[in-house]
Amino acid sequence: MAVGDLSFHVRKGEVMGLLGPNGAGKSTTLMMLTGFLPPSSGSATVAGISLDDTLGIRRQIGYLPENAPSYTDLDVQSHLRFVGRMHGLPVGTLQERVAAVAGLCGLQEVLPRRIDELSKGYRQRVGLAASMLHDPQCLILDEPITGLDPNQIVEVRRLIRQIGEHKTVLLSSHVLSEVQAACDRIMIIDQGRLRAIGTPAELAGQMRGGSVLRLRLKGETQQMERQLQARLPDVSIHSDGTDKPDVLILQHADPEAQLAEEAFRAAVAADAVILEMVPESATLEDVFRRMTGGRA
Amino acid sequence: MKRVLAITWKEWRQTIDTPMGYVVAVAFLLASGFFFGNTLFLAGQADMRSYFHMLPLLFMFFIPALTMRLLAEERHSGTFELLATLPVREVEIVAGKYLAVMLQLLLMLVLTLVYPASLSTLGNVDGGAVAASYLGALLLAGVYAAICLFASSLTRNAVVAYVLGFAMLLFFFLIGQASPEFSSAMQDWLTLVNPVDRYQSMTRGVITLGDVIFMLMLALAFTALTKFQLERRKWS
Repeated sequence: MAVGDLSFHVRKGEVMGLLGPNGAGKSTTLMMLTGFLPPSSGSATVAGISLDDTLGIRRQIGYLPENAPSYTDLDVQSHLRFVGRMHGLPVGTLQERVAAVAGLCGLQEVLPRRIDELSKGYRQRVGLAASMLHDPQCLILDEPITGLDPNQIVEVRRLIRQIGEHKTVLLSSHVLSEVQAACDRIMIIDQGRLRAIGTPAELAGQMRGGSVLRLRLKGETQQMERQLQARLPDVSIHSDGTDKPDVLILQHADPEAQLAEEAFRAAVAADAVILEMVPESATLEDVFRRMTGGRA
Repeated sequence: MKRVLAITWKEWRQTIDTPMGYVVAVAFLLASGFFFGNTLFLAGQADMRSYFHMLPLLFMFFIPALTMRLLAEERHSGTFELLATLPVREVEIVAGKYLAVMLQLLLMLVLTLVYPASLSTLGNVDGGAVAASYLGALLLAGVYAAICLFASSLTRNAVVAYVLGFAMLLFFFLIGQASPEFSSAMQDWLTLVNPVDRYQSMTRGVITLGDVIFMLMLALAFTALTKFQLERRKWS
């Protein structure tokens, strides 16, 4: 089974990010929500419509499948017109809508070009434009940002944010920073199961199970370590992974442990100088790595 | 119906925007012109009977080429996911695609009307038989297109779709060729179910309602199979 025991709710006017390592079941989840793949058990409603009414759902959603497939031997204009006609847009408004989404996605200059002549970034935008043509209540985007260059990423992210103010957006990604920047809430899935859900800040907060302090020292580093061990028996001390002997990371299971205070006293006793002292918080990266077993 | 036409229009655009459609049409006209010219110039007969006799053979090579990418390519390039998540039923997808290939076949057959037209300037053409033959050819093309569209729905690879379609058409052709070897009861039965035999009787100028209905039902059966094949992802 690709996906099981997965339950969530996306609010209107919210951008929800579906995050997980490759093969976690992101695309499968989205395909089920679009009615492309029927679930073997369970139920869902999209825009208030049950999954059983797949035609009804397909009228309400705009879906960008993974890799943004489009009819590459058509020109952009024809492709968009085709998608619009399939949505039953009347001829009068069709031209208007094509122009509107082309403007929104920055496609005006390439409208008469064949899609197979376009770069990956443009194709992605063609797919995005096609998914918005009929002004859907709900946008489902499978990896919308993957494969874009940094400028385009900023643009598409802004576009998604803008749409997300009025519509419901559910997007998937395996790149953390994308989701963090574009989404109001994030859910992390792995092996088809929901591991965590919440705003980026909430998720990072869930991880802060203790306190972490980063120190940069000058002088008696080893003496300092001994002093610290004596004062705080439960502290774990390690380097920051690089070869810098003067950097120590202190970790304590108790968030209330007076790490900074004790570090100061230990430094005085050990005759070491603290050059830098930074309390560290768990990043979303940590959450992701821990939730998905570090396989990301 | 609007969606069926939208799909037909899209297929039509893809055909006229790519060389594939032209290549197949031109090759078909060249080949059919060869068979037509053969009788006229070498045998010296102002007659279309042998031309229509050869037509199923030409269809066997050219119709799989027209249909092979219709569904296989959609799956291969991932556009099927786009198409199937638009508010359209599978039956509309199949109908739109079938209509597109039939329009192209109709156009190709219309272009061959120059043969009877040029013959009529040379001698007496049996207009009724020619008209009946064209109707038969169109019906047979309809059956073949339905079979080959089904073949295209079975695979993601257009070349495999061509070979599958060709093999299925070859099966009918070989049955027709082998029928003299069978017992007469078997022969009667085979003539009954073989669309090529039905077509050959039409080219003799005999059109029966039974033949027409049989051909239409056969085409319908294969388009229905295609529809089920497209829906199959929902059963697993």
